[in-house]
Amino acid sequence: MKKCTVAGMLVLSMLLLALPASANKLEEIKAEGELTFALTGQYPPFNFVDENNQVTGFDVQVGKEIARRLGVAGVPVTTAWDGIIGGLLAKKYDLICGSMAITPQRLETIDFSDPYYRSGAQIFTHKSSDITSVDGLKDKKVGVTLGTTYEEWVRKNIEGADIRTYKGVPDMVLEAANGRISAFVTDKIVGALAIKEKGAPLKLVGDLLYEEKMGIALNQGNPQLKAAINEALTAMKDDGTYHEISMKWLGIDVR
Amino acid sequence: MLDWGIIVHYFPFLVQGALLTLKISVIALLFGFIFGLLAALLKLSPNVVLRWIGGFYVWIIRSTPLLVQLFLIYFGLPQVGIDLGPFMSGVLALAINTGAYNAETIRGGIISVPSGQMEAARSLGMGSALAMRRIILPQAIRMAIPALGNNFVILIKDTSLVSTITLVELTLTAQRLIGSTYKPFEMYLMAAFLYAILTTTTSVLLSKLETKIAVERR
Repeated sequence: MKKCTVAGMLVLSMLLLALPASANKLEEIKAEGELTFALTGQYPPFNFVDENNQVTGFDVQVGKEIARRLGVAGVPVTTAWDGIIGGLLAKKYDLICGSMAITPQRLETIDFSDPYYRSGAQIFTHKSSDITSVDGLKDKKVGVTLGTTYEEWVRKNIEGADIRTYKGVPDMVLEAANGRISAFVTDKIVGALAIKEKGAPLKLVGDLLYEEKMGIALNQGNPQLKAAINEALTAMKDDGTYHEISMKWLGIDVR
Repeated sequence: MLDWGIIVHYFPFLVQGALLTLKISVIALLFGFIFGLLAALLKLSPNVVLRWIGGFYVWIIRSTPLLVQLFLIYFGLPQVGIDLGPFMSGVLALAINTGAYNAETIRGGIISVPSGQMEAARSLGMGSALAMRRIILPQAIRMAIPALGNNFVILIKDTSLVSTITLVELTLTAQRLIGSTYKPFEMYLMAAFLYAILTTTTSVLLSKLETKIAVERR
């Protein structure tokens, strides 16, 4: 009988902890005084952990600025990219503000704000590689981050590529530098920065594969929250705050 | 070869991560022991239904990976309206998991106590519950300590899996710092070192406990 009581208590405590579903996410966030947004923390310079073990970068500052304009504190949460949408759907955080490209496929399950920056997909190889274009990737080992648009693109467009999936860009930078993969595909700005700032022995190959627009992801059915984010984004772009953040982390205005 | 500047600068952050690992381990260990004890008693119960419940728990947990159990609790349960935070999810998954292994260890300990002990206690007028608590369990746990210690060490190492559900414990601290430093060798070495400290301390404490009990017994 004792065991039944314990089991009962467990179930009860679980039920008590379950958050009641709220009709208006925006009001809920304002009541809590906290806006949580997810990112991998392994995507410098957009989001990463600095030398003081603090999560920082372009995405983080944009997320915090939006939270500030909503009158709440912005709290970044680091999570693996391949589970980041799952976490949003499971309401583990309010937003994904971690360089997620807006795609029709993702729009089927989640919602996005207006784009907050533009970039594109780029091939990177070791400095000494003889690959000169996308055609050179046939039957080669190509790295991508699991669950990215890059992964999808490589799977569709590069014939016979031996695709290796990774948890983050830094892993691929190390792998390409060590010669374990012939190339990897990721965001142009992210890869270019790894070369410039960290001295990674890599180079950009060919033109941009395609352009992408990144948005801040939220759960569907939250029109008030979406409107508030878009309003804050527009205001940031208009008053120069956005330009300042972009110049600080990326050296260019990426709007 | 090793970048000592990196090690000196980042070591305190890894220690911070190790403290969360320790906290998760201790709580999961405590609940894991309780779950294990309850499940062992269930499995040894004369009641068929209770025995079946205990057996089912041990079977389902031991036949599925911890990572899948963790994801079920963290990502799966919210779908049916149960939203546990990352810390609760992590601790619960670890406690339930290690509990199943503890159950078998403790059950083994109980079985190894000669049946004459129970008979003697009962003939002195003790009820079976009292006899179990006062006579059988103290001997059973004593015998189970080395194997339980093994489970505890495995539990500490398994906490690295909660790095996948946003808990910035030791492993995720290292991973995140690799993202900006590109120094996997130094970071993972420091993490391994701190795990070794945690597990070795646990083993030493348990073997001390074992010796103390053995002395008392004499």
